[in-house]
Amino acid sequence: MKILESPINSTRRAWLQRTSAGFGALALHGLIQAAANPLAVRPPMVQPKAKRVIFLFMSGGPSQMDLFDPKPLIQRKHGKSVNAPLPEQHRHESTDGLLALGTDIPVRPRGQSGVTISDLLPHTAAIADELCLLRAVHADNNQHGPAALQIHTGAIAEARPSLGSWVSYGLGTDNQNLPAFLTIHPGIDTRNYAASFLPAAHQGTPLTLPSKASDPAIAFLTDPATDGAAQRRRFDFIQRMNHRLLARHEEDARMEGMIHSLETAFRMQTATPELVDLSKETEATRKLYGIGEKATDRNGRACLLARRLSEAGVRFVQVTMDGWDHHGDIRDNLPKSCAASDLPCAGLIRDLKSRGLLEDTLVVWSGEFGRTPWSQDLSRTAPIEKHGREHQPESFCAWMAGGGVKGGLMHGETDEFGFRPMAGKVHLHDLHATILHLLGLDHERLTWRHLGRDYRLTDVYGEVVREILA
Amino acid sequence: MLAALAMAATFPSLPLASAAAGASFFRERVEPLLQKRCYECHSHGGKIKGGLVLDSRAGWQAGGDSGPAVVPGSLEKSRLIEAVRYLNPDLEMPPKAKLPDGEVAVFEEWVRLGTPDPREAKTVEKAGVDLEQGRRHWAYQPVRDASPPAVQDEDWPLNEVDAFILAKQEANGLKPGPEADPHVWLRRVTLDLTGLPPTEAEIVEFVADHSPKAHERVVDRLLSSIAYGERWARHWLDLVGYAEQIGTEGKVFAEHAWRYRDYLVESFHHDKPFDRFIREQLAGDLLPAASPRERRENLIATGFILLGDVDINAIDKLKMEHDFVDSQVSKVGTAFLGMTLGCVRCHDHKFDAIGQQDYYALAGMFRSTRTTFKTPHGIWSNIHRVPLPELEEDRRIGAAHEEKLAAWRQQKQNLETELNATENKELREKLKPAITQLELRIAHGEYFHPGKPQAIAVQDGAKPTDMRVTIRGNPYALGDAVPRGLVRVAMWGPQPEIPAGQSGRLQLAEWIADSRNPLTARVAVNRVWQKLFGEGLVRSVDYFGTRGDTPSHPELLDHLAHRFMQEGWSQKKLIRTLALSRAYRLSSEDAAAEPENKLLTRMNRQRLDAESIRDAMLVASGRLAAPSGGPGLPLEFPENISGLPITAKSNHPQFSIRTERVSQNHERTLYLPVVRTGTQPGSARLRDVFDFPQPAQFTSKRSETTVPTQSLYLLNADLIRERGEDLAKSLLSVKEDDTVRLARLWLRVLSRPITAAEREDALSFLQASRAAGETRAWTELARALFGTNEFLLRF
Repeated sequence: MKILESPINSTRRAWLQRTSAGFGALALHGLIQAAANPLAVRPPMVQPKAKRVIFLFMSGGPSQMDLFDPKPLIQRKHGKSVNAPLPEQHRHESTDGLLALGTDIPVRPRGQSGVTISDLLPHTAAIADELCLLRAVHADNNQHGPAALQIHTGAIAEARPSLGSWVSYGLGTDNQNLPAFLTIHPGIDTRNYAASFLPAAHQGTPLTLPSKASDPAIAFLTDPATDGAAQRRRFDFIQRMNHRLLARHEEDARMEGMIHSLETAFRMQTATPELVDLSKETEATRKLYGIGEKATDRNGRACLLARRLSEAGVRFVQVTMDGWDHHGDIRDNLPKSCAASDLPCAGLIRDLKSRGLLEDTLVVWSGEFGRTPWSQDLSRTAPIEKHGREHQPESFCAWMAGGGVKGGLMHGETDEFGFRPMAGKVHLHDLHATILHLLGLDHERLTWRHLGRDYRLTDVYGEVVREILA
Repeated sequence: MLAALAMAATFPSLPLASAAAGASFFRERVEPLLQKRCYECHSHGGKIKGGLVLDSRAGWQAGGDSGPAVVPGSLEKSRLIEAVRYLNPDLEMPPKAKLPDGEVAVFEEWVRLGTPDPREAKTVEKAGVDLEQGRRHWAYQPVRDASPPAVQDEDWPLNEVDAFILAKQEANGLKPGPEADPHVWLRRVTLDLTGLPPTEAEIVEFVADHSPKAHERVVDRLLSSIAYGERWARHWLDLVGYAEQIGTEGKVFAEHAWRYRDYLVESFHHDKPFDRFIREQLAGDLLPAASPRERRENLIATGFILLGDVDINAIDKLKMEHDFVDSQVSKVGTAFLGMTLGCVRCHDHKFDAIGQQDYYALAGMFRSTRTTFKTPHGIWSNIHRVPLPELEEDRRIGAAHEEKLAAWRQQKQNLETELNATENKELREKLKPAITQLELRIAHGEYFHPGKPQAIAVQDGAKPTDMRVTIRGNPYALGDAVPRGLVRVAMWGPQPEIPAGQSGRLQLAEWIADSRNPLTARVAVNRVWQKLFGEGLVRSVDYFGTRGDTPSHPELLDHLAHRFMQEGWSQKKLIRTLALSRAYRLSSEDAAAEPENKLLTRMNRQRLDAESIRDAMLVASGRLAAPSGGPGLPLEFPENISGLPITAKSNHPQFSIRTERVSQNHERTLYLPVVRTGTQPGSARLRDVFDFPQPAQFTSKRSETTVPTQSLYLLNADLIRERGEDLAKSLLSVKEDDTVRLARLWLRVLSRPITAAEREDALSFLQASRAAGETRAWTELARALFGTNEFLLRF
């Protein structure tokens, strides 16, 4: 598909030609907002290792202790109170006792590298040598809303642009028939994929895999009331009106942009159903993701779609998998969440690898926080075996794979409880800085002038985690 | 040796011999460690994080933002020791990993020895806020009464505004472009003032009115309409972070929020003086009131302070309260002063002369105000509300409601008696759900009792006190207390006296609403200008600081600000002046104009905002409902509420819209519910598509973006089709020729006559679409028109 040339007015075009110093200079002057096609591909600032991102967001907060970071002390003290340094203001009645909650499923070293992974994640365990496991990630808020906002935007309380929006703004996108940032099965909080003060073209477009063929994957993608011919007639009439209007005026970048956008929308109506149609994939591929199996079908299809979108040139794809918020009976419930996500995530890595895409696709797996080593009992009457775990932003685990990170690496350590990070700490700001770095973007230079200030994804924080770079 | 002597002089208790030993201990053990572990972030050669440098003695003595890093001899009081020991999760250094125990021991030994440090004292400049320098910035200078300049083309100006505009153009060798066609002007002024397009009848009337007063008549008609109040209320809501949902966790309804929205509509409709408007919103609870009605209004107005985003589900309530205070300070800064104050929570402003002292002086006022309370539901809090003085109508409504409740209670009792009396299983199974249903209805009726009006409003706290600086915004790491007061850089006199037992909000309100405040009127006038001309005279409308834009016409800005205050802070008078200027009549087409159009030789085009797009379709189809007001969320349907009846274990009541209020489909978008999470409900969904600001933001200039999702919406959304169908039916209800109908269609959607080429195009479109029936064909055409750029833009 031909990409329409960005209609920029002549003065600005000349100016842009004069200042061919590259993206940095443009960003500094905030002039990118003048471009009529904000999704046009832009060169990275530094040598990139990855061209695109797939972010697997484990909504609810997976338990790092049960999955990746075993703690002998907690195992030993199972059911007994531990003397953890939890500040007073973070305590509340259901976790008062700080009873150590051991795990009944082993977490063991895997592969050549010995990355520790639970038996609950057998498929992830099998690709251990691809993973860069971060074991001392930390965040700043212990509630889902603000914490999810932080992993998506860096901020806790304000509306700021989402990670995917910053990436879209920084690099544009290869596929002009689709937005640069697509988010599959996002939660209800639209702020998590909002562009905020960045141009709206960079906002995440939510995508839902249709359960029926007649349902659109993107909102308003189809007209339920008229057939294709009638819609085409209407589209053509609108564009004739638009062109007549444009002809009456001198150059108007916005009007040209609106015409362009309508054309893109029209193409999206055809391009999107083709992309979300997974039926053309081979049986072997579908099996790789667990498609057709009850437990894994939804996430498997989402992950396969993520691969297809990445392959088609979408810059940033997010897949949200929920069900990780195990406040009660974690021993019974955690295995279910693992079963629903393990094969789809591992299948995605395998599939990307076999297609040669893994080396320049960065895959990130993380929740908004982790869970406490001690137990929580909302009922206050259940036996320890039926307890769950409370939220824990102080430390948790995430993994990365592909584009530019070391595989088979464990980075970071927590204290004996698994509460506070002691070494290799990675704050979410650091994670963000690192993701941008791998894409060839400098988190300190990727800025947007808003209310007199140059805003960044990492605010005034963040350092690239050099130790994990390949 | 000299250095050692100097050091010894600082710590006279240390014997000289051990001073020399201390110096060498420092050189051999401590300094290498500082270089290796700390300098990257804390030296003049590296970064200076947190304002702390450790490459000189003066560095750790002065310390960083949180005070001295080391207290010689005291391990407990030295923040450096606390940091390297990793005992406080909020203060861990180095940040990435704890030092080996041996290295921690070296630092401990150093402090225990009295912190010998023989390095030459580099003086550390603690950058304070330079108020004198800061006040030189144009925005902090007093507003001057600038008289209109002389112009060469004396016939052109219609009023003083035009003189300023033209003089600047002439000085730059430019000429104003042509005036817009009357149809264009009428659509422009009607949309700008009321958010609605003109009706067919209004267009016909204006075009036929050749009197010199024609424009005035239109502007006065528009200013007196309730639609004007609705339009400008919505503009103000953008600065408030208004929603009918509290916080973003769960879906907790703000069942009284609408009172504030309706208060705004009334205030703008009645042209409440803007200084009064400020006082009511910041300190209405502290103002005297002549009547219960006025008291109600004053209380409701303070919803301004509370109707923003707040994390009511936080475990850490202290942090929640501090964060809420922060958003209030930010909001006041943006809404009234054009200042960004939020960043000053953690450090002095980098660019403007605003220090932490200023921030905490204001923050203390809001910290001394009751804004949230803990509910009986788990860890949930909610935002503060106050009972309103009852009016006669409340008593009437309340009594009627009580009767209804009493009837339900009686009914329930009867059923219960029946249940207890029968052994018939079948009957029992029938009775039980009926009782449950009545229980829910009663609980719902008691919870949402219309006879006991409340408002989301503030009161002063029990013990108003000054606030202490929080280190990097951490409410558990406290610095010095800051007396409550005002922002120094924009002050002209001494700090006000705050009476004991008061928060200080009244003094804040008086200062902001004072005609000597250099910012208030300028910011307000500039916002109005931006709404009418597309760009502000100061383009960064929410930020007048040093990194913002400078005014393109500083004298005009001051002239308008001065006049605004002189004329009783009347927004209607201001708008009347602007709307009747020649500058406002200019065409948006002017080939000769400079691209940025800073000198306004033509009108700037604007995209209709989400509300106007939806409302304009309602006007065009003739289906716009009369103003309603009242709650936006359809909470009157018990099935939309969970958590009732309230029991010891019930969660916080929440909403989930299962039943929509059908009448809302034809109400102005302003009256539809605004939620913080999830898509906007019902036909308010259109807001999500067309740049409606997230209700956590405070912004008076929305972004205007162009994305394919908007085009998809225009092509395919049910809402557009339904309005198209309404419009088609309305046209077809009168027996007329197609050409007449087309003319009317164009007037209704585009507010102008149809051209011959368009008529031909439309007729063949209708012809091609007729197979599906006449209504369908016209619906398709109306839908198409709603999708055109001309409909979406105001020229």
